[in-house]
Amino acid sequence: MKRGHRRGLDPVGLILPALILIFWFAATTWGGMPEYKLPSPQKLLYVLVDFATGQFEITPYSGTLWGHLIHSLKRVASGFGLAAVCGLILGFLSGGIPIARRLVDPLIHLVRTVPGIGWLPVAIVWFGIGEGNTLFLIALASFFPIYINTVHGTSQVPEVTLRAGRMLGAKGFALFRTVILPAAFPDVAVGLRLGLGVAWAYLVLGEVTGVTEGLGAVMTDGRMLGHVDIVLATMIVIACAGKLTDVLLMTVCRAVCPQMRKGGKSNG
Amino acid sequence: MDDRGLVIDRICQKFQNENGTCTEALDNISLQIRQGEIVSLLGPSGSGKSSLLNIIAGFDAPVSGNVLLDKELITEPSAQRCVVFQTPALFEWLTARDNVEFGLKRRRVPAANRRNEAGEMLRLVGLEGFEENYPHELSGGMQQRVALARAFVLHPGLLLMDEPFAALDAQLRSQMQSLLLHLWEKRRQTILFVTHDVEEAIRISHRVVILERRPGRIREEIEVPFSMDQREDLLGNSNFQELRTQIQQLIFTL
Repeated sequence: MKRGHRRGLDPVGLILPALILIFWFAATTWGGMPEYKLPSPQKLLYVLVDFATGQFEITPYSGTLWGHLIHSLKRVASGFGLAAVCGLILGFLSGGIPIARRLVDPLIHLVRTVPGIGWLPVAIVWFGIGEGNTLFLIALASFFPIYINTVHGTSQVPEVTLRAGRMLGAKGFALFRTVILPAAFPDVAVGLRLGLGVAWAYLVLGEVTGVTEGLGAVMTDGRMLGHVDIVLATMIVIACAGKLTDVLLMTVCRAVCPQMRKGGKSNG
Repeated sequence: MDDRGLVIDRICQKFQNENGTCTEALDNISLQIRQGEIVSLLGPSGSGKSSLLNIIAGFDAPVSGNVLLDKELITEPSAQRCVVFQTPALFEWLTARDNVEFGLKRRRVPAANRRNEAGEMLRLVGLEGFEENYPHELSGGMQQRVALARAFVLHPGLLLMDEPFAALDAQLRSQMQSLLLHLWEKRRQTILFVTHDVEEAIRISHRVVILERRPGRIREEIEVPFSMDQREDLLGNSNFQELRTQIQQLIFTL
């Protein structure tokens, strides 16, 4: 019998985080860990709640979480959206049409050899400091996993599967929509998820270098003011937001391609 | 010349090899298949059987010659010439039922009709109860039956089968042959069946066309002298054994 995915929380997976939490609590309460390096878990919780609600007014950022979060989400959405459109279109074309691949693939891989961070100086020169260069960096970095996985998924569709579609009457765009897309979709979805993760990473990089609003900006600012608690609190917010956008992405993917199989293997 | 049916007219096919040389796969193949007939293409490997099938299916273009189905020139794949491949080639992301409905959907058959026809077809191939299973949940034999249903449900003008049972074990193969005969009984489907198995060719077809290789040419056409109701139990029949030996010896010399 095929083993399915475990639904719900796996208790074994909670063991290590729980241990870390205990160790952290012990280190800050009795271990003499200085607060400027690592605040205690309970302090961090207060800061986090205050960040969101403004209830305690213990940091300069009280209650400002939502504003910064929305700024960051907008940037991630725009950058990732741009990367996804380009990555998917070029990916499908490149994966499906040999001449297109010969045309664009070498250039794309050439550009890819410069790591995203290496584009920062040029991005600042071209777009100045602010929204433009952040968007550019996010879109650029996010593009590659989407493109590469889409090409892979599309080109790996077996010839016999395409022939089956054609002999059953699927032609042109219908062949793409009913055969190529669903066949390639597991790889495409992987590419989109990776791209989203990269988008969040470059969001922080972009925001850390000169915008005034956004979670990355809070982190830089907080560090410079010596508020390591807010830096950590923001990291937690980023992690949660990242996870939520990932869940949203997977929901959209499943809505587009409800028949997406999770890599089932045949028996016979 | 029969108006309906398949006409293969002087087909030649060549392939470019990787080292630059040219292989002549088919040399002046001419053949006709009447509507409702089951014809086997029998030959050793390298005789161009699959190349010919790919041309008829519309996947490849010949170097010269024409193929006509019901007087229409063939240039590309269509649901009038469905194919059952050696591998089931099912759509992994669709259930058995959705696989069978696929061609009907492309044809814009209304949903209720699709459901009925697909359900009936799956019942005919013995997969009642497995309609909602995905291909990876089915055995090889069951997947091939879905592939058969998927093609048959479209009532194509010509059904092409490319060694469809070669990957199955002997008992399963025999069952699938019986199933094919049973389906033909119901629909009188025109079938071109490629195989290298002499017994299979004799058992299921009205006519056996033997191809020789290098290059592929028609060596002989043999009308199978048994009526279709005799086909279930041929092994004990001495005429069958004689014919089988005759053909096997011929193939041996090719």
